[in-house]
Amino acid sequence: MSIITISRGSYSSGKEVAEKVAACLHYDCVSRDILLEASDRYEVDEIKLVRAIHDAPSILERRGRKKETYIAYIRSALVSRVRSDNIVYHGLAGHLLLRGIPHVLKVRIIADLERRSAMEAQREGITLEKARSAIIADDEQRRKWTQSLYGVDPWNSSLYDLVVKVDRLSIADAVDIVCDAAKREAFKTTSASQRKMEDLVTACTVKAALVEEFPEVMVSSEYGNVIIHSTSGERHAHKIRKAAKALEATVAGINNMEVHVEGGAPAGAV
Amino acid sequence: MKPLTFEMIMVMSIIGIAVFLFIVEWVRVDVVAILVMVGLPLLGLVTPKEAFVGLSSNAVVSIIAVIIIGAGLDRTGVVNRMVAPLLKIAGNSASRIVIAICLAIAAISSFMQNVGAAALFLPAVQRVSRTLKISISRLLMPIGFSAILGGTVTLVGSSPLILLNDLLVPFNLKPFGLFDVTPVGLALVGSGIAIFILLGRFILPKGESESGETSSPAKSEDISEMIGETFELHTPPDFTLYRDPVTVDGLRRRYLVNVIAMVAPPDFKILNPEPDLEIRSDVDIALCGKEKDIRRMAEQEGMLLKEHVEVFKEELADQSSGTVEAVVPPRSPIVGKTINEADIHRRFGATPLAIYREGETYRSDISDMDLRVGDALLLHGPWKRLQGLQKERTLLLTTPIDVELVRPEKAILATAWLAVSLVMILVFKIQLSVCLMTGAVGMVVTRVLSIDEAYQSVDWRTIFLLGGLIPLGIATEKTGTAAWIAHTVLSAIGMVQPIVLLAVIGILATVFSLVISNVGATVLLVPLVVNMALAAGADPRMAALVVGLATSNSFILPTHQVNALYMGPGHYRSVDFMKAGSIISINFLVVMIAMIYLFY
Repeated sequence: MSIITISRGSYSSGKEVAEKVAACLHYDCVSRDILLEASDRYEVDEIKLVRAIHDAPSILERRGRKKETYIAYIRSALVSRVRSDNIVYHGLAGHLLLRGIPHVLKVRIIADLERRSAMEAQREGITLEKARSAIIADDEQRRKWTQSLYGVDPWNSSLYDLVVKVDRLSIADAVDIVCDAAKREAFKTTSASQRKMEDLVTACTVKAALVEEFPEVMVSSEYGNVIIHSTSGERHAHKIRKAAKALEATVAGINNMEVHVEGGAPAGAV
Repeated sequence: MKPLTFEMIMVMSIIGIAVFLFIVEWVRVDVVAILVMVGLPLLGLVTPKEAFVGLSSNAVVSIIAVIIIGAGLDRTGVVNRMVAPLLKIAGNSASRIVIAICLAIAAISSFMQNVGAAALFLPAVQRVSRTLKISISRLLMPIGFSAILGGTVTLVGSSPLILLNDLLVPFNLKPFGLFDVTPVGLALVGSGIAIFILLGRFILPKGESESGETSSPAKSEDISEMIGETFELHTPPDFTLYRDPVTVDGLRRRYLVNVIAMVAPPDFKILNPEPDLEIRSDVDIALCGKEKDIRRMAEQEGMLLKEHVEVFKEELADQSSGTVEAVVPPRSPIVGKTINEADIHRRFGATPLAIYREGETYRSDISDMDLRVGDALLLHGPWKRLQGLQKERTLLLTTPIDVELVRPEKAILATAWLAVSLVMILVFKIQLSVCLMTGAVGMVVTRVLSIDEAYQSVDWRTIFLLGGLIPLGIATEKTGTAAWIAHTVLSAIGMVQPIVLLAVIGILATVFSLVISNVGATVLLVPLVVNMALAAGADPRMAALVVGLATSNSFILPTHQVNALYMGPGHYRSVDFMKAGSIISINFLVVMIAMIYLFY
């Protein structure tokens, strides 16, 4: 009765672990399907979403807010998908996108660079040297991505509940460890944690609906009482209020919605 | 005709100087009146006795009494009770609200001083504007004008009309009855409101709503919906079992409802409990909130929602506690702090219900919002504690509170004394000032309000303005100046039909009332037009009535007391009054002349 996010570098066997954990616990397993869902829901090319969640923002993108828009879409699709619980999500940034939900077990699967290089060289038919550079480049890209958007290093183990290195521990061992952790009391869904999940879904849906027009807004929700935090002054807030009013009727789970101008957004805001 | 004398020139010079000072406002209008009051006997134009006779006149005493009666009705909540159902009837339509409030203020101002009625309505209108998001400038002008127009409905409705019978005495003309002017007054009120409803959008300033956009039509929210109402609930016996503690703040965060009273077992009542206080099982709690939120909470938490407030009936009665609007003033020590940091709850024992800022009402997470200058906090608490808040002046209370002054239990007595006055006027035909003063003193004797409160309620500016201009009228009359101007104007316009004469008088009175006070204009013009009418063969009483009415036709400039009162809060400029006021003024003249011609 929980949600498991498995974060992984390329060729770290994370995908395999995730699928086996899902099979073992009889959970659903999702990854790229989230991007498809977001692409459908918000009518954006999937490739743009892939780039948004994979590539570090370029200098130009840092000025614009397109990437944040796409990530808001992906996050909204992800939280809507995992709200029903009993699910394993493996893919990029799951641990960051589902921050603050107590019943999410955040796992990182890592592997030796040599092992990963060998696997890539074998699969792609390239030299070991090239494979190693490709993996290092990919890891660097991930690092920049998380740092530019969330200000954290994905290799920082404190972001996760569990970091498993697949090397001396086999994939099966890793699966056992993850499944065992998932059954612990701490990760069980409670009514309070599910309430937080529902609030996250509401906040993410509202954010996704507003982000294209108002990229600077942050949204928080507590028991369905949604607050849209804006830093762009009272004049702009009026437009946000208008847009928000329209959402009140269409987004489920909203009890009350207000636009607060200035003053910082709380930690849990999306 | 008497030739122009030196004394007449002196009187006309004094009138000229007074008018000039009224316009330039180098000194306040009431000071001008006092200067006139003192200047006239010094120049030998009136006797010392005549100079101060104004202060003891029927008119002035009547106005003092009307103000006291108005204060009594206000303090006992009679006025509020009259306003509340109007808002319910009006629902959410802007036009209906304008009609309802205009009719109400016209009705009230037909029996009390116009500016008093206008002042009484100001807080209510401001509240309506904010709650229903109707621009204040679209509301105040029609309402202010209705207050002035309402003054023409009865003979006690406005100072010029109260004064009228006094001014007829020297001419031995038959005095007017209380309701003699009513048909004309009703037609004026009706046509005035109709103009605002039909042409309001063209003649009223667009008025920026707080958010910078043109005001939107009324929203479905009504006043009580802004903060909700008070409900009493009972928690189930198993309320605290198998769950985390439920606190006052917890309920607020979850359901946006505010616990304003609760019972701590066994039977200790806590008013405005602090946020971290735990709600116990099987106890009564009183909450302020929107009904839908309260019902949702009752359902989800298994609480019993009572039909009426029972346990906290006394503590939450209107005379014991209530909700006030407190504005954060500039330089207040709490600017930039949150409600939590300012410790408002603990310091004043009042529960913050909502923050009203720039046209928006905030209910979520208000404890952590940084307070800004101009923010209005809606606070609930016992009046005594709120008085402490008022004294400290960290926040300015826009809703006046005075525990001793709010006496809803005296409402019947207040209404009864108003009725006594009216019966004396209507049935026994006793002099107006005596009737009204009976009502006023009756209110004091029966403790509807104390004598000090009665004194405080009287606006001495108005009294001296009236008292000071009356000797000017006496001087104008005594020296033959009025007669001289009358004859001069009359010979200038030649022999005309009575209706044309009345129209000319109407225009003259309107122009006079724009530059000098309506009372001053009446005092000056009545002797003059009576002479004019006598000379032209028209009914002198009608001529005097035209003056009495047309001196209320003061809409084009913000010189009328009501217009002056509403100019600031309505964010009006003089040009706004010129635009809407000229149309109302023209309508006033046309309707008045037509009605007088048809009815008398």
